[in-house]
Amino acid sequence: MNRRQFLKTTGAASAALGSVGLGFFGYEAGRDPESYTGWELHEGALQTFNRKRYAKDQPHYKRVGTTSRPDARTDVIFYRRGDFMRNWKDETGIEGLPEHLQAYYKKYPDVLEQDIYQMKEVFPKMRVDYQKYRDKFILASAWSNAMGAVSPQPINQPPEESDFPRKRRFGGTTEPLKMKSPEKTSKLIKQIAHQLGSTLVGIAKLNPDWVYSYPMRGRGFEPDKPVAIPEHWQYAVVVGTPMSWDPMYANPNFGTSNDAYSRSRIVAFRVASFIKQLGYAARPHTPGTSYDLMVPPIAIDAGLGEQGRHGVMITPELGCNIRPAIITTNIPLVPDKPIDFGVQSFCKTCKICAEQCPSGAIPFGDRVEVRGYQRYKIDTEKCHTFWNQNLGNMGCRICIAVCPYTRKANWLHKAALQVSANDPTGISHSVLTGLQKRFYPGPDPQKYYSPSFGGENASFRKPPWWLRAEDFIEF
Amino acid sequence: MSFFNSGLFWFIQGIFVCLIVVGFKIWMEDREIPMPFWKWLLLGIWVLLFGFTIAFVGTNLGEKEPQAALLGGIVFGLIAIITAVGLWRLLLIGKNPKK
Repeated sequence: MNRRQFLKTTGAASAALGSVGLGFFGYEAGRDPESYTGWELHEGALQTFNRKRYAKDQPHYKRVGTTSRPDARTDVIFYRRGDFMRNWKDETGIEGLPEHLQAYYKKYPDVLEQDIYQMKEVFPKMRVDYQKYRDKFILASAWSNAMGAVSPQPINQPPEESDFPRKRRFGGTTEPLKMKSPEKTSKLIKQIAHQLGSTLVGIAKLNPDWVYSYPMRGRGFEPDKPVAIPEHWQYAVVVGTPMSWDPMYANPNFGTSNDAYSRSRIVAFRVASFIKQLGYAARPHTPGTSYDLMVPPIAIDAGLGEQGRHGVMITPELGCNIRPAIITTNIPLVPDKPIDFGVQSFCKTCKICAEQCPSGAIPFGDRVEVRGYQRYKIDTEKCHTFWNQNLGNMGCRICIAVCPYTRKANWLHKAALQVSANDPTGISHSVLTGLQKRFYPGPDPQKYYSPSFGGENASFRKPPWWLRAEDFIEF
Repeated sequence: MSFFNSGLFWFIQGIFVCLIVVGFKIWMEDREIPMPFWKWLLLGIWVLLFGFTIAFVGTNLGEKEPQAALLGGIVFGLIAIITAVGLWRLLLIGKNPKK
């Protein structure tokens, strides 16, 4: 073999080996646990998207009318339905309910019908299905409960008591330390939040419209009295962590919100503790129901993402697989700007979440006015009713699992994100949506339901091996 | 992180690419097919498409998305084959007809 023949043969062999190598690279990129953003490290390296490039002066949602603050007692469905079930009596009907519920149901009689339907039709059937089919999901349930087993002491004092630092030992001061500049403080708080376990961090100036007009129970406010927004709630530090990825794709039956709830709760309490030790006020608002405000719009204000068609915030790094928490504070900070990375245009054409939503709660239409702001509005009654029509861990999360933005951080999906974010024409949004629908389809939405409602206990994807109860337990 | 996600893997891939370019250049010279810059450019684009197809299939298998791997393999694979035929005809432009 002469030199030329040798080089030609080597070139051909390299082409073959290189091609095989690319295949293995792809396989590893697809299965690599490190492409599950949120679990690798806490140095801030996970917040990888160049937000400054997509920063806007105003958020994507628009103020289109007279704004009003949400009432936690009626607008937060968990709170309202809990109150409703505790107080409803057939003999007294609506007149036996607390006044605020009476007023709400008189204004929205169709909501009352749905709340009654859930109590009288859904729960009895689910009790039967639970006994029949629950074994299959026993590990998912145990894992979910284990994730929720550790939780900081809930805040049950009013802000003027709970938010401020307590005196330190040996006569230490509680006076606020003199910070060099808001810019430096913002950088510090963000790095500390990452170090304490937050995957994403953003800062917003608190918009009073997002604070509840009437409070949730157990937050230290007087019940049924309007919330006066404390002066020291000037800024909102938004933190957030993702739900475990493999179970999240196996929603609604195998996923849980508890894992990310628990992590975000702990991060928020730690960040609040850090701020207090600098002498400033801080109050964590954490999932599932320990809030004095609505979290998603504040996270959008803080530049973490945009609202999707499903009503959930979509971030560049995690898609909608994020459970945020908030720390309100008066430490001087520099707010981040909201971002626009093409989600509004994408959601206009995509609609996969609406197609896959078993309850039909996600709109196919355009954004509407809600309390003075233009946004997508989901039918929360239908959504929450389905939470109780599947055997999963309290919830559904299908819209999160099927969203094209909720993908692993490997080369393929990162490239798709960059194409989508930088396409002003929207052509790529149609193409990517088409590919998503054909390449990554979900089951018939009806199959997500529990059998009593005509379903098959289906999940979007198969559960990870460690949640398959039948492989570990003799039934 | 496995070998196939490491810097060493891409270093070796780089060596492979150099060997492929040298081997291909000699192969074309032996056939007296001229290779101006535009042919190298088109070839490079096709190699990217071919590499994308292989990596797409592998990535989706790794993500446990067999349908995406199969459909992607068929769709992008067909595109790669069809464009390869077209590219080969373009590469033959300027070939010495005596050979």
